[in-house]
Amino acid sequence: MIRFEHVGFRYGVGPEILTDVNFTLEPGSFHFLNGPSGAGKTSLMSLLYLGRKPSRGLVTMFGQQINDMEQRNLAHLRQKIGVVFQEFRLLPHLSAFDNVALPLRIIGTPEKEIRNNVGELLEWVGLGDYTQSLPQTLSGGQQQRIAIARAVIARPKLLLADEPTGNLDDEMGFRLMNLFEQLNNMGTTIVIATHSHAIMDKFGHPRLILDNGHLEVQEPKSWVQRSVESVF
Amino acid sequence: MLNFLTQKDKKLGVAEPTGRYDLPLHNCAGSSFLMLLVALMSFLAMMAVSGSFALNGVTTKWSSGLENRATIEIPARKPNGQIRSVKDIERLSERTTRILRKHPNIEDYDVMTRAEVSALVSPWLGESITMDDMPLPGLIAITIRDNDEARIDTLKKSLKEVSSDIRLDTHESWLNEILRLAGSLKAAAIIITLVIGFTTVIAIAGAVRSRMAEFRADIELLHLMGAGPNYISNQFQRHSVILSLKGSFMGLCAGAIGLFLFNIISGFSTSSDVAPSLSLSPLEALSLLSLPFFICLIAYFSARYTVLRTLSLLP
Repeated sequence: MIRFEHVGFRYGVGPEILTDVNFTLEPGSFHFLNGPSGAGKTSLMSLLYLGRKPSRGLVTMFGQQINDMEQRNLAHLRQKIGVVFQEFRLLPHLSAFDNVALPLRIIGTPEKEIRNNVGELLEWVGLGDYTQSLPQTLSGGQQQRIAIARAVIARPKLLLADEPTGNLDDEMGFRLMNLFEQLNNMGTTIVIATHSHAIMDKFGHPRLILDNGHLEVQEPKSWVQRSVESVF
Repeated sequence: MLNFLTQKDKKLGVAEPTGRYDLPLHNCAGSSFLMLLVALMSFLAMMAVSGSFALNGVTTKWSSGLENRATIEIPARKPNGQIRSVKDIERLSERTTRILRKHPNIEDYDVMTRAEVSALVSPWLGESITMDDMPLPGLIAITIRDNDEARIDTLKKSLKEVSSDIRLDTHESWLNEILRLAGSLKAAAIIITLVIGFTTVIAIAGAVRSRMAEFRADIELLHLMGAGPNYISNQFQRHSVILSLKGSFMGLCAGAIGLFLFNIISGFSTSSDVAPSLSLSPLEALSLLSLPFFICLIAYFSARYTVLRTLSLLP
């Protein structure tokens, strides 16, 4: 379970980017994170993937409070999180295969298992012929698929994705969303930051709406109701 | 459904060190520079350590050869400035040996002939000078049983009874000076070796720090993916140790060639009894051969400390 209680966040001595954020993500839940540009989505994501610590408030991840946690223990928590970064952040000197294999190597998975699973997943995302290609030789969409494969390969407990389908055609986008659904059905908690109303409407999961640093949780019922009200 | 989705949950933990690099450390431009620097440091360390061994050898040789030896000199001139005749010197030598024979602290003595004394003096005067008319002192080399100062004083007193100007030279004063000088040189060699070690630490730490700055984004990514400090530092440690191993072997080979040439040159130009000799005992040779091991240890710990310290600044 992930819980944010009265969390505030600012960069250095700058203004507060996130103000008094409160929400709980139950294990196996699926949420979309939405909001206008500059609302604080990336900052909230960085708090979720333990890239930063909150300026105030309490953050509990997988039942452990992280505010004063030692770096060594944080590394173990991070191993449970898969992240698809908006800018992909692939290692440019590693092949597509090695980039995807990285989370498994970090946790010490045997090489044979890595070969099987990574090969299978790259095949599935349509990159079976590009396993030895360096990221910079691939298109944006292909790089995005590698980033997604890397985020899911170790079957994380929490999957965070920042605009994961932004560079993909609709068919591949929905295919990957189905992969996320499958992972979610197996118990992975998922948060996807997206601007795509098509995706949010199609999959109908609760939304975390960020506006000017304030977070509002909208259950499917409430946003359907609001849409109906707006029509009439 | 994808197979990997149906497998059991992954066991989280820390990967065992492997030979793989997630960071392209082996392709860095500065690697060969660092290797050459380590080679130079190893060469200098080897020279300093061998110098220290050579001094050790020579001081042992000097002190063990002279510590129980002394020389009695019957001066060529009398206290009033007159030159002593050969017969006079022989007579005094005879009286001195009589004392030495009876003295309990004298193990052995050897009255040097005029020819032997001439041979000792000739290197300073040149071969062309004839010694026949040259006033030469009488010399008696003695071996003392006990270096105890009181016993030496008793001997000196006995010798004064023969002639007030007879001198007993135990070599102590000049030997002590030379040993002190050799000790200072050895200390200097140790300090140089320490400075070399310290410089190597700084060079490796600097190289690691610059690599970390170069790959900061990649390191942050590994960190965010749950790679612990050991996982990341292992890669830097391995890279630094391999470079240091290569560099130190290069330095060792260069040092061995240098010492070999030095031995040849010093063998031609000096007497091997007096000059420091670089022939090494098995233990000393082993110490020199273990230099790469120590340099690798320095590299390992410098890299580890630098990486862990830098990583501790990440959130």
